Amino acid sequence: MKKYSFLLSLIILTWLVTFDLTGYIYENSEKFDQPVLITSAGQSAEVQLANVLSKRAGLTASLIKTPAEKDLEGVNTIILVIGASLKGLGAAGLDVEQEKHRVSQFILSVEEKKLPIICLHLGGEARRGDLSDELISTCVPRSRSVIVVKSGNQDGLFTSLCTENNIPLIEVERTADALTPLKDLFN
Amino acid sequence: MKIKDKPTLTWIKKTLILILIGPFGLASPTLNSDRAYPSDNQHRPCNVIAKNGMVAAAHPIAAEKGLEILKKGGNAVDAAVATAFTLNVVEPFASGIGGGGFMVIYLAGDKKVTTINFREKAPAKTTPDMFMREGETDQTLRTSHGLAVAVPGALSGWDYALKKYGSMSLDEVMEPAIKTAENGFILSSTFSKINKDEYEKLMLTAGEDSCYLNNGFPYEQGDIFKNPDLAETFKTIASHGIKEFYQGALAQKIVSIVQKKGGILDLDDLKTYKPIEQQPLKGSYKDYTLYTVGPPASGGLHIIQLLNILENWPLGKWGCSSAEYIHHFSEALRFIFADREHYLGDPEFVDIPIDQLTSEDYGENIASLIDPKKMSEHYPFTEFNEKIHKKANTTHLCVVDKDGNIVSLTQSINHFFGSGIVPENCGFILNNHMDDFSSRTDSNNSPRPNHRPLSSMGPLILFKDKSPFLILGSPGGTRIFPSLTQIIVNILDFSMDLDEAIEAPRFFSYSVLGEARPLSVESRIPETVLKALEKWGHQIDIREDYDTYFGGAQGILILEKDGLLHGGADSRRDGHAAGY
Repeated sequence: MKKYSFLLSLIILTWLVTFDLTGYIYENSEKFDQPVLITSAGQSAEVQLANVLSKRAGLTASLIKTPAEKDLEGVNTIILVIGASLKGLGAAGLDVEQEKHRVSQFILSVEEKKLPIICLHLGGEARRGDLSDELISTCVPRSRSVIVVKSGNQDGLFTSLCTENNIPLIEVERTADALTPLKDLFN
Repeated sequence: MKIKDKPTLTWIKKTLILILIGPFGLASPTLNSDRAYPSDNQHRPCNVIAKNGMVAAAHPIAAEKGLEILKKGGNAVDAAVATAFTLNVVEPFASGIGGGGFMVIYLAGDKKVTTINFREKAPAKTTPDMFMREGETDQTLRTSHGLAVAVPGALSGWDYALKKYGSMSLDEVMEPAIKTAENGFILSSTFSKINKDEYEKLMLTAGEDSCYLNNGFPYEQGDIFKNPDLAETFKTIASHGIKEFYQGALAQKIVSIVQKKGGILDLDDLKTYKPIEQQPLKGSYKDYTLYTVGPPASGGLHIIQLLNILENWPLGKWGCSSAEYIHHFSEALRFIFADREHYLGDPEFVDIPIDQLTSEDYGENIASLIDPKKMSEHYPFTEFNEKIHKKANTTHLCVVDKDGNIVSLTQSINHFFGSGIVPENCGFILNNHMDDFSSRTDSNNSPRPNHRPLSSMGPLILFKDKSPFLILGSPGGTRIFPSLTQIIVNILDFSMDLDEAIEAPRFFSYSVLGEARPLSVESRIPETVLKALEKWGHQIDIREDYDTYFGGAQGILILEKDGLLHGGADSRRDGHAAGY
């Protein structure tokens, strides 16, 4: 009997692991509506990755790196791609303080319109650091779902912010793996 | 993918994952792939010591392949060219046959220093206003467009050096690079980060199917990167010579893609490209003599200017990373930038007062203009009384061979991933060095037909008592010459060893049309120092701890008395020194 229950457990576990690895199971009951506005907190290049992911996921989405309040009209969900890049900030004509202020104001506008935010951190370990961490701490607690490339959460920052605020967190190994969970978050 | 709220299953899952995927997942990446790749925690200074020969380059595999050539009996030029080809494979975003550069060669037998200028040149149809649209400069045209591509000179320069000063054939020195491109190698976090940073440009100019994207996404750290297209291109060049690139089927492919992307480069531009061998530029600092490349490379000239200015101050007393040192150095840089803007261009076409700019009087004059406790309000260019007489974003590698021959080589495709344009199925990236021309239409460095754009590169060899002492160079755009000067001062005034000098915190300042720009610093510079600098008027721009913005220097120190070579390489990129 013991032998059989061990074998049964092994089969169940193998099944769980297999499906978990291939990305078919999430425990995220909330579904979001389209159209989507994809935007950046920190102006890193990952906002372009999110744009490609959303296209491949078949989402109706537009990308605006530094949106104004009027850009929220007709939008049902915000995808906020977090990651600070000095190069990106320079290209956008922003300095660090301006970007922090801009992001805070943007989130206030989004909350006023009661739009849900999904946070994406796709840059991994390389896209962590003081400014990125500050933006993560500002944005994640005010989101409804978070997708993060695993190496960007090695110190558990996303885990603790999501746990504290009861936000579902999805970890993926690689950027491309974010496609399926992103798709499944939407109606 | 993993859900965070199932911790109890973690250890069982991990075991099963290992059992289930181990035989495939763990074994396959090692097949035929080059295992040498940089570690993630690499900022601790570490000098590599050897006796017979050494190669320092921006990637471990490139340094090791260069060393293989030395061990096979090749000389410094053979190893430098082999390393340069391998860098095209392992660090394709920084240099390659689609770009250009400069090299300094020391021939130990003749005790002679020479330099080769293989900088790209502007196409014949270039005009000063080619980047203007509706009265404004269009930055996209300068960087991510066919117009951004200048005529590549790297292959021509390497071939010239090899034929004149090398001992091996082109196909022999290309072999290690071809194998690396075919077998692949494991990607570092540096590659992955740069690949992600430049994603937008690659999507715009190369498209989702580019060999520099992985099914339309950037490569991740730990991925294996193979470049069969580049291997085939290299095989074609190895078999048929560089004529294939400048006049054959490869030339057709280059012109075709550049023109398709809106550029003006044509077959005649490629056919007429020639590298230039020129006399080195010479300067001095204390008891040391410096040999470097002259314009259109500006880095060496500015290093000589900076050292001449710094020689007027008690740097040793102030100390490295002191507010006094950083303030004086930054102010000197702002004056140098004013002269750079006013005087420099391609010496084939423009008169440059090189003797005056590199004189000790010039250094003394600039030093006297600097207030020890206050920033200047304006930085005018220097006016010389005498009539001017005509004088004659990158990677760096250095090689010393067993006979004491030396190569110091800096080259680039300009920005990371250059223009992002890849000729069809060729696997190499074309430069965007047209962006190194001034955006002004009336500058000595405005875009003009066949001119070579001004560069900040400054590969150098420093001599002590007529013997080579330090071989050094770096990428980093306009940060090149401040960074190299800081490394020299770190060694000579602050008594650091080579790698410590390379790893030490860096800073950079400049001026535009006489107006100061912010002082950029690595965040390791103490806050008390930054506060003092702010008090003296500097606007501070704090960057990362070890920021690639400040370059990625490579160097070899020759301790003649001990018969030893010390190699140092920059952890801001994947720098590595290898010796035997």
